[in-house]
Amino acid sequence: MKKWLLGIVSLMLVFGIFAGCSNDDASKDMSEDEWKDWEGTITMWDGPRWADKDENKYHWIEEKMSEFQKEYPNVKIKLVKTPWAEMNDKLSVAIAGRAWPDIAPVDISGGSVNQNHIKQGVIAELDSYLSKEEKSDFYDNAIDAYTTDGKLYGIPTSISVHAMLLNLDIFEEKGVEPPKDGKWTYDEFVEKMKALTGDGVDGFSTYILPSYYEAWPFLLMDGGYPLNEDMTEYTFDSEEAVSGLQKLVDLKYKHKVTPESMGGQDVGGTWKAWAAADQRTVAVEPWATWAIAAAQGEKFKTNFMVAEYPTGETGEPVTIGGVGGYVMFNSKDEAKKRMTAEFMKYITSTDEQVVTAKNYGTFPARKSAADQEPFADNPQMARAQELAKHAVPVPRHENWARIDEAIQKELQLALNGEKKPAEALKDAGEAVDGIINE
Amino acid sequence: METNTSTTRKVNQSTTRNTKTKSLWKEIYKNRVAYLFLLPKLLFFVLFMLVPIVWAFILSFQEFNIMGSTWVGFDNYITAFQSKVFKVSLWNTFIYTVVTVPAFVITALVIASLVQPLGKMSQSFFRAAFYLPTVTSMVIIAMVWRWMYNYRFGIFNYIIGWFGFEPVNWLGQSDSALPALMIMSILIPPGAGIIIYLAAMNDIDQSLYEAARIDGASAFQRWLKITIPMLKPTTLYLVILSTIGSFQVFTQIIMMTGGGPGNATETIVHVIYKTAFRDFKFGLASAQSVILFFIIMIFAIFQYRTLRDHH
Repeated sequence: MKKWLLGIVSLMLVFGIFAGCSNDDASKDMSEDEWKDWEGTITMWDGPRWADKDENKYHWIEEKMSEFQKEYPNVKIKLVKTPWAEMNDKLSVAIAGRAWPDIAPVDISGGSVNQNHIKQGVIAELDSYLSKEEKSDFYDNAIDAYTTDGKLYGIPTSISVHAMLLNLDIFEEKGVEPPKDGKWTYDEFVEKMKALTGDGVDGFSTYILPSYYEAWPFLLMDGGYPLNEDMTEYTFDSEEAVSGLQKLVDLKYKHKVTPESMGGQDVGGTWKAWAAADQRTVAVEPWATWAIAAAQGEKFKTNFMVAEYPTGETGEPVTIGGVGGYVMFNSKDEAKKRMTAEFMKYITSTDEQVVTAKNYGTFPARKSAADQEPFADNPQMARAQELAKHAVPVPRHENWARIDEAIQKELQLALNGEKKPAEALKDAGEAVDGIINE
Repeated sequence: METNTSTTRKVNQSTTRNTKTKSLWKEIYKNRVAYLFLLPKLLFFVLFMLVPIVWAFILSFQEFNIMGSTWVGFDNYITAFQSKVFKVSLWNTFIYTVVTVPAFVITALVIASLVQPLGKMSQSFFRAAFYLPTVTSMVIIAMVWRWMYNYRFGIFNYIIGWFGFEPVNWLGQSDSALPALMIMSILIPPGAGIIIYLAAMNDIDQSLYEAARIDGASAFQRWLKITIPMLKPTTLYLVILSTIGSFQVFTQIIMMTGGGPGNATETIVHVIYKTAFRDFKFGLASAQSVILFFIIMIFAIFQYRTLRDHH
């Protein structure tokens, strides 16, 4: 083969492959209703939710897809089933390769999709697809979580908070009264943990890991917060934050009511120590609300109650909250975006939020869904829902994933006894200041 | 006069180079069918290895965003070397490599030496037995080992409990987390190493051992004076290969410690991964990758020069 011919063939092959990988759709103008005739495929990623009788944990979204496709026969929705544990990493890689899906379930404060992506135009703005009336049905904090510079970048579906879960079997075995109405001060909490600890049982345990906030309400209980209001300064080295961390560290080293491994990174092991029938060695652990549904399920059926985090100097049972929802990834095809938004609205409607709340253990982000009282017959979830009013969000800084890691790594060292709380939070500050000032 | 000699030498060198190039092309043309069969693989190599490597090198001089990029010169390299975490990760990876590579090679050598004198059937059995774990995904191995290191239920704390020792928070403490990961790497059977050593040992000329035996050399002396020197090229290959592997340690880190506690188990590839896919700083991640590339290259050259067989 001639050299020039070989060169051309190779180039064509290379361009052909890259063109095949391209995610861009042809841009086109459309009239008001033209989007309804749009023909094509919407790719959606979703994680497993509650199982049906065939153990299919994607049955809910499959059913919604099928209903929507009946209404719009030209549309094909392709579901990419993605385990939650892999969702962040896979989305990150997909974004990096500019091969993102059209819709994905994203907690906007999480690591894989964040403010940076909004700035870079990866996430589509949704204001033109949701009317003011539609938006007003969502709780303000839910809408705020997906709003940047006054523009909406996602449809919230659920609100979650962290709560203390108390294994009542262990309380009973040890003859310890659970806190009345799930309320306790830090001192009362310590007394109860001491009474629960012994004979192979520990009162309390949790873990420290980037992007996990189960332990953080302790740091906030005396008034600490990681960043100042305009997110230009690190403030977790304040007296209030140090005092909060000291209280958490004291549980391990002063009051000795936790296992030696408390503050490690073993999420699964920590959960089993509270919930697995054959490994129950911890009486109290803080978890996000999904754990309530898990502890009510058959596999980890647990006799438990939901309690507030103990109160510190602020007198408030502070907790950390988060908002889950769906985001649309950008595309140049306006008709496709409009159709995708329609599907997003379909799966985040009031009825669907009630269904997911009841079956999946999340709090609805829509007021109209909450009004239907999905937890009327589930006192544990209802109790957790009450905690939502004490929930504070993590800062929505564009480099939060890095800031979070810098703080969490120092928290690990403090919980290991390798650094004093004040030293750990000061050292975290050095790293965080560097990130903020970049 | 000197200028003339120099010009003549240059002309001669140029002519020799041209002749060599021509004969190379002639050789390729002569074996064109073979090269045609190699072409698909070569294309894949160029597309999926060479292009990304060159691209990563170019990216390392850019600030790369998802929607565009700008040239920043050596800024990414400066940022990488100024980063405390990156420096810690370099040190951790170095320690990990220095400990695990000799352990891997020595273990493979010892096991292969014990298996080699056995009959063919037994050799085959041990080959399979030692190679089988290599097939298992590191993710699975890491999950099992994480359970073995569990503070309360893990087998390691159970065993040390027999001897009256207090349980150790293996993966949770800064001073034990990296050693725990190294112990794991050392205790996983070096299946590939054993197979390669066995193949090389079976190729050693038996007359050398016969002669040594006649001269009264003991089994250990024969192993030390014949087997090990004859295996030098194989050892070099395994050392270089396992060094590259050790410098790229990643799965264990992400599965078992996430780089913690603190930065105790941060390694270079884990930092590169986070820089690229969490922070979306592809330019910086590429600079870190290029640094890793040169570190591995320097190590490989050093090892090659130290261990190569001069004969």
